[in-house]
Amino acid sequence: MDNLNESLPPPGRGAQGVDLLLGAFSPRALSEIVGPWSSGSSSLLVALISRVTLSGDRVAVVDATDAFDPTSAVAAGADLSRLLWVKCGGRVEAAWRAADLLVRCPGFGLVAVDLGDRHDQSRGASSFCRRLQRAVEQSDATLVLRASRPLAGTAAALVVSMRRLAVRWIGAPRPTRFVGLVSEAQILRARTRSRSAPREGQCVEIPWGL
Amino acid sequence: MRRIAALVLDDIATSISRQGDLYDVALAHSPRVEDGGPGVVYLDASGLGMLFGSEEHLARRLVGAAADRGLRIRAAIASSRIGALVACRWSGEITVIPPGREAAYLASAPLSLLDRSPEMAARLDRWGIRTLGELAALPSAQLFERLGHDGLGLQRLARGEDRRPLRPWTPPLIVEESAQLDGAVDALGPLADLAATLAARISDTLVQRGLSADQLEWICALVDHTRHEGSVAPAVPVNEGRAMTALVKAALEAHPPRGAVESMTLRARPVRVPATQAALDDPLPPSPRLITATLARVAALVGAERIGVPVLLDTHRPDVVKLDHDAWPRSPSDRSPRDPVGLRHARGALALRRLRPPASAAVTLVAGRPVEIRSERLTARIVESAGPWRVSGAWWTERPWFHDEWDVELGPTHGLICRLAHDGSAWWLDGVYD
Repeated sequence: MDNLNESLPPPGRGAQGVDLLLGAFSPRALSEIVGPWSSGSSSLLVALISRVTLSGDRVAVVDATDAFDPTSAVAAGADLSRLLWVKCGGRVEAAWRAADLLVRCPGFGLVAVDLGDRHDQSRGASSFCRRLQRAVEQSDATLVLRASRPLAGTAAALVVSMRRLAVRWIGAPRPTRFVGLVSEAQILRARTRSRSAPREGQCVEIPWGL
Repeated sequence: MRRIAALVLDDIATSISRQGDLYDVALAHSPRVEDGGPGVVYLDASGLGMLFGSEEHLARRLVGAAADRGLRIRAAIASSRIGALVACRWSGEITVIPPGREAAYLASAPLSLLDRSPEMAARLDRWGIRTLGELAALPSAQLFERLGHDGLGLQRLARGEDRRPLRPWTPPLIVEESAQLDGAVDALGPLADLAATLAARISDTLVQRGLSADQLEWICALVDHTRHEGSVAPAVPVNEGRAMTALVKAALEAHPPRGAVESMTLRARPVRVPATQAALDDPLPPSPRLITATLARVAALVGAERIGVPVLLDTHRPDVVKLDHDAWPRSPSDRSPRDPVGLRHARGALALRRLRPPASAAVTLVAGRPVEIRSERLTARIVESAGPWRVSGAWWTERPWFHDEWDVELGPTHGLICRLAHDGSAWWLDGVYD
């Protein structure tokens, strides 16, 4: 635990890492965010959702385990009126099929698929991912999968692996408040032509605040 | 000279379900009808003497026509809506107030017959005003000083003054097509073909009138003489036959009829969609047919109640979110001028992953702080904690609630940062920060 007697920079500042990373998610490509719970992977997905809704585009959130928290999305700046939430009730296959339908439907700037950490998330994943990759290449949408481990293999143009570096509490000698955590995002795969986008192997440190 | 008839249903409990019958009775006697709220309909009774004879005869006819439909109503005719309404509420089955006699007739009527706010009622009661005549007799200027415009408006009603013209009510347009099958079918394929034929006919009608459908309803008559009914609301109003077919087909696949179908009726509730001019830099909008068909297929996959635009409700209670199933996310052209692209950035806010429903947990406390958690999902030592943060609400009701929330970090085996909640009787694992 990184017990600091200081708070994180307020959200929006000190978050250049987020902006750098969000620029790496390209349209017409399948990207992956992977990491265990409490690594910051969901926060990165929510930040991407917020950025896309703020730019005025529609977002479809395919939520395999009904874990999406709209309050967190609003805290990240998301405009919920531009968001379509599909709750799959723990049925991972339904999530794959819903994502397949939504990627083919024009009008969405981002299709975000959160597969949770269910043990059956990898069942049939490679064939679904290849199918989704072909579909997204024909659309204008950005397709992002969030899972506990990489599932798409070579179908993914970008794979971002998240891990937690530190947990931030304030208060001494005993913590009185949890204020956030610090994640490290490592680019495991990057097939992008953008020079400003992070390169393969590059690590980006991201502070997340409550 | 204006004459208004009021029809009031005797049975308030059935007023909403029988409102349509009440309209039918009124429209059979006058082309100008106004909705007066649940169980009340007004109609323009001016100039109906040539058709129905005296006003008393007209009132009897109205009561008789309602009785033919199984309705018990009261009818009154006066020179104003309020005069006719008060007469209905106060007198017998049929009342006719002669022209110019409203004020005299209303004078002895109790004040409780007028719709007024509880505050206004209490105030007038304190003043000892019990009848409409007593309220009508108060000096208007002083009444205005004490009760404002609301008081003055109430006094006008007590005097029977109601100059607003009737707001004509028109029945909602419904486009409906039916077809009988040569033989009963229990397979979805032929039924979908039949729905496509009906949808194409409805589409032609809608396009000719410049309308779109915002709701589709169908009734299938089954061989066992029962009915299979369903309805679906497209995300955006549609008038294309193929889109309507896709919606009906997906809904029939999700909830097929219980038996073989003999005939089908498809009904569309039309709305007029105003044409909009898109900005030059806006991308081409997606086809409503494609959107509707996609959402219908996704809804058939996960359940119609599990897809929609999330709306946070105005409460402090955690995780209270409504899904607006009929909405479609706002389009890029709905951009607010205060929300220009690129001026705002997503913030690095830590997200919570909700457990739905929250997992019941047993939590061990030491010196008032949680040190261990045991639940079906995990058992772990708690290495750090902060809290409790109390959220509460409805304390002004008989069912108040509160949550004491704790942020906890679990031991290295799990390494999770969780949110626990205690509602006074049990502990819950609300979610995991990620």
